[in-house]
Order: sequence, then C-alpha cells, then structure tokens
Amino acid sequence: MTGKLRERIAISGVGCSRFGDLLETPELKGTSIQELTARAVKEALDDAGLTGQDVDAVFAGNAMVHSSQVPGTYSQLSKWTGTQFKAGVHFEAQCSTTNVGAALAAMAVAAGVYDTVLVYGLETTRTKVKDFSPYEREPVSHQQTWLWTDMAVNQAYGVPQGYDIFSTYNGLVALGYCRKYGMSIEDFDRSMFELCKTRRLHGSMNPKANIQEKLEDRAKREGFSDPFDYWRSDEHNPFVAWPSRLLSLVTTADGASAMVITRADLAKGGKSPPVELKGFGISYSDLPWYGEDPTYWEFDRRAIDTAFEMAGIKPADIDYLHTHDCSHISGICTAEATGYLEPGEGLNAARDGRLRFDGDRPMSTHGGRHAFGHAWGASAGTDTYEAVLQMRGQAGPRQIKKQPEISVIHTHGYAMIGTVVVLGSI
Amino acid sequence: MSTVSEQPSAIRSYYEGLSEGVFRAITCKVCGGYTFPPTGCCETCGSWDVIPVELSGDATLLLASHNISPACHPRFEKIAPYVYGHIRLKEGPIVQAIILGVDPTPQALKALFECGPVPLKAETLQMDDLPVLAYRIVS
Ligand SMILES: [Zn+2]
Repeated sequence: MTGKLRERIAISGVGCSRFGDLLETPELKGTSIQELTARAVKEALDDAGLTGQDVDAVFAGNAMVHSSQVPGTYSQLSKWTGTQFKAGVHFEAQCSTTNVGAALAAMAVAAGVYDTVLVYGLETTRTKVKDFSPYEREPVSHQQTWLWTDMAVNQAYGVPQGYDIFSTYNGLVALGYCRKYGMSIEDFDRSMFELCKTRRLHGSMNPKANIQEKLEDRAKREGFSDPFDYWRSDEHNPFVAWPSRLLSLVTTADGASAMVITRADLAKGGKSPPVELKGFGISYSDLPWYGEDPTYWEFDRRAIDTAFEMAGIKPADIDYLHTHDCSHISGICTAEATGYLEPGEGLNAARDGRLRFDGDRPMSTHGGRHAFGHAWGASAGTDTYEAVLQMRGQAGPRQIKKQPEISVIHTHGYAMIGTVVVLGSI
Repeated sequence: MSTVSEQPSAIRSYYEGLSEGVFRAITCKVCGGYTFPPTGCCETCGSWDVIPVELSGDATLLLASHNISPACHPRFEKIAPYVYGHIRLKEGPIVQAIILGVDPTPQALKALFECGPVPLKAETLQMDDLPVLAYRIVS
C-alpha cells in the first residue's frame, strides 16, 4: 500500500442545505427530499462553475433508507440534479458517508478513471415518508430513530443485549476521561456547559444551523438569570448517561450536502478558489469501540496517522479542526488524539474559550452536531463545507481571523468508521 | 415437515448457552486471543483456526453509567433506565453490558465511581424474548 494520491485532488465546489425539520423549520417546511438534495447539489455545482452534465460520475450517499425511501439514489435523483447518463453508485458509511465519498472520488480521479465526481449525501432523521405519499411526511419517534440508526451497530450481540449509545458514547467516555486526568465530576459538568455555549454561539452565527439560539438566550427564555442554573436543571437538561447531560449531545436533523471533487489542474473557472484534498484515512471497528481506556480509540488513531501521512502534515500544522461531536466528550478525546489539543487539556481549552471561532484553537465553527444538527449521511459534507468556507474567508460573522491553510475533519460513521480528511489551501 | 437439518450458528449457540448460564467465547490457536461474544474467526489476528471455550463469568467493573427511559430498544423498556458498565473480564476481553446491583441514579453512580473498580459476576437476565448477559456487583 502506498497510501498516496497519484494526482493532486481539489474540491472545486461545495453545497449544503439548511439543517432542521422538513415539517416545521423555516426554509425547509414542505420541501421534498428530492428538492432538498437538489438544493445542496445546485449550490456545489454552481460553486464549481459546472452543471450536472459536466461531471463524470455521481456518488450518492444515504444511510437511513427506512426514512428516506430512495434506494437507487443516484438514478432516482438524476433528473433532479441534471446528472442522468453518468456513472453512479449509492453508498453509505453512516455518519462518515459524504467524506468517505470524497475519499472514494479522490481515488477514482487520482487513478485517472474520472476527471470530476459529484458526491452528495441526504438524510432525514426527523421525518419519514407518510404512508405511501410521494410528498407528505410525518415525524419519526425518538425510539424509531434509534432502532433504525442502531441497525448500523452490532446486531448479533450489541444491540440485542442492551447496548446504549448514550452510555457507550457519552457517560462511560466521560468517566474514563475524569478518572484518567483526575478531573472532578463538577469540573466536567462546568466544562460541558462551556463547550455547549461555544457550539450554540457558532450555531447562532450560522443561518443554516438547526439551532440558532445561544444557550444563554435559551436559559433566559426559560426564566433563568444564570445560564449554568439552566444547565444543571434536571427538567431542562437531564442526565441521559450520567455524568453526561442532554445538551452535550447531537440534535437530529433533515439535511443534504454536496461537493465536487476534481483534478487540481482542472479546478478553475468556479465562483470561488478550490481547496486541495491532501489526504484521508479510514479505519473501522465494531463494539467495543475502546479498550480499558475509554479515551483511546484505536481506529481513530489509525485514521489520523494514515491521513496525516498521506497529506504530509504534522499536528502543529492544523489551523482548523472538526471532530465528530455527537458526544461532546468523545469529540474532545479525538481532538486530543489529533494533537490539536494537549492530552487532558481539551476541556480546559473549552472552558477558556479557546475553541471558539475567535479563539486560538477554533473547532466546529458551523455549530457541530449539537447546534448545526446531524443528518447522518449528509453531515460529514457539512463539516467539509464549513472548512472550505473558512479557508476561503467566506464564513461571515464566524470567520476565523487568520484564514486556515490546513483543516482537518474527523467523523465517526456509526459504528464505527473513523474517517479523517485533510484539506489544504492551493 | 422439513427434513433439512439446521446448520451450526455461533449466535444461536451463544444465546442457547446464555439461557443455561453458560458464557460462550472462542480462543485462537494462532495468537491465543479471545473473541467474546463468539464469531467464526479471531478478532485479533483474523485466523479461522479457533476453538470454543466457556468463560468463568468473573469480571471487574471499571466504569458505570446509565441511560434513559424509554429505552432505545423496546426489548429493554421494562427495565429502563438501567445501569450500563465498562467491564474487564477475568480472561482479558473488554465488554460493555447491563449492570445489576446498583441504582441508575446520579448519587449511586457517583458513589460507585468514587470507590473505583469492583468485582462482578456474570448472570443471565431473562427478557421477554431473549436471554441477555448481565453482570452483578459482588458485595
Ligand atoms: Zn488470533
């Protein structure tokens, strides 16, 4: 295995829909899944200065087919995206889908098979097809969402024997972190509050985010003068897996994202400068996701090392980082594994505001899985979308002052596909 | 009536063992590693040269959290919220499973966290439709 790309690869266009609920969110209410996807695809193609007929192949990602009900996604969506008669495939890598798609596209282009590939991802985790209607949708219950989502987790032994995402991804990792670094549960709770504040601040600055209300404003709206009292309220923010609380978790969303992957020398003529896809790493495993130490995940270690090696970067080169933060504490552990944050210092960095867009270790400036929201197979593309905006200086009020030259995006495809993508300015 | 004989299944055998209080795993003849619960090959080195073994059921609870009600899976609605633990088996593998013998409350879980690792013994929790592996705190 060479672990190298034979051609320089660029992302020449990115697109992303508003994230939210197709039944109630402004800008989304009443939108079909076809039109939702087309919106993200059109933005990416326009950005690259192309039409759907200019690409050679389409990699269409969708994980939870139960709610979307569009298998054969590439063909069913072809007339909505202008891409018919192209090569296509429907694939999924759960919550890493779109970035695994970018890696597959990079391989196809670097191999010389295609010049340009459109990758898109769509997902509806809040709504599903109503009865047999071609356009009406209805809400998905909490339990139904997890039953369908957990089909991506060990169906022989894990899920049937009481596996629970909240404990495994949040509570047990939190306790492992506290024990390893001698942090008190009270300090942990305060740090999670500060981290949530940062995520919600970023969401409040992003018109595409699922939640655009700051944590402080929500607390005030609920009658709390001190937002930390709101945070500690069992009614508003219960423990879902002690010591982790509800507001340290993902919020579900419907959404779509897209990107155009091409040879770097062809990435001209778009609206905005292209960004180089310098490297990627993918490593997967089944439960248990970690050994005795819940802060160390072997597949993430391997994905990070592989991606950094391919891209030729070191931890000190990272200017912007997103780690998968369905669980805020596991996202911090991964950030420490990349070397962007010091081991055991991630939560202190969060408390000191260093992870904000205006801090010295900016992370997840779109709002992360909590504030931007999470539409499984579409989400990795939104993380890439945000990194590309930041690197071009197009992130508006949440723009990082010194435009990042190297960005690292990590995602966890349930369960688990550790995926790391390294982007660089051209 | 069908005359077709059933093929062996590691999954069915595991659950049948569980209903009798037997904890089935495999060990690898190449690297000596355990795979638990059992599959058809070694999870460490990928060898197919594996043999069935029974585990002692002795274990250590490293960490314990809990979950919410209603449970993510309808099978566990009756017992949710329940305690879910990070466990090291005497034979070496790391396992996560339902923990019995402690209340799923922040107070009880905090007390348990502060006292550090404690010994566990495996038992079978009979749900309506399936036996489930659980570990009870040895007092
Ligand atoms: Zn082996």
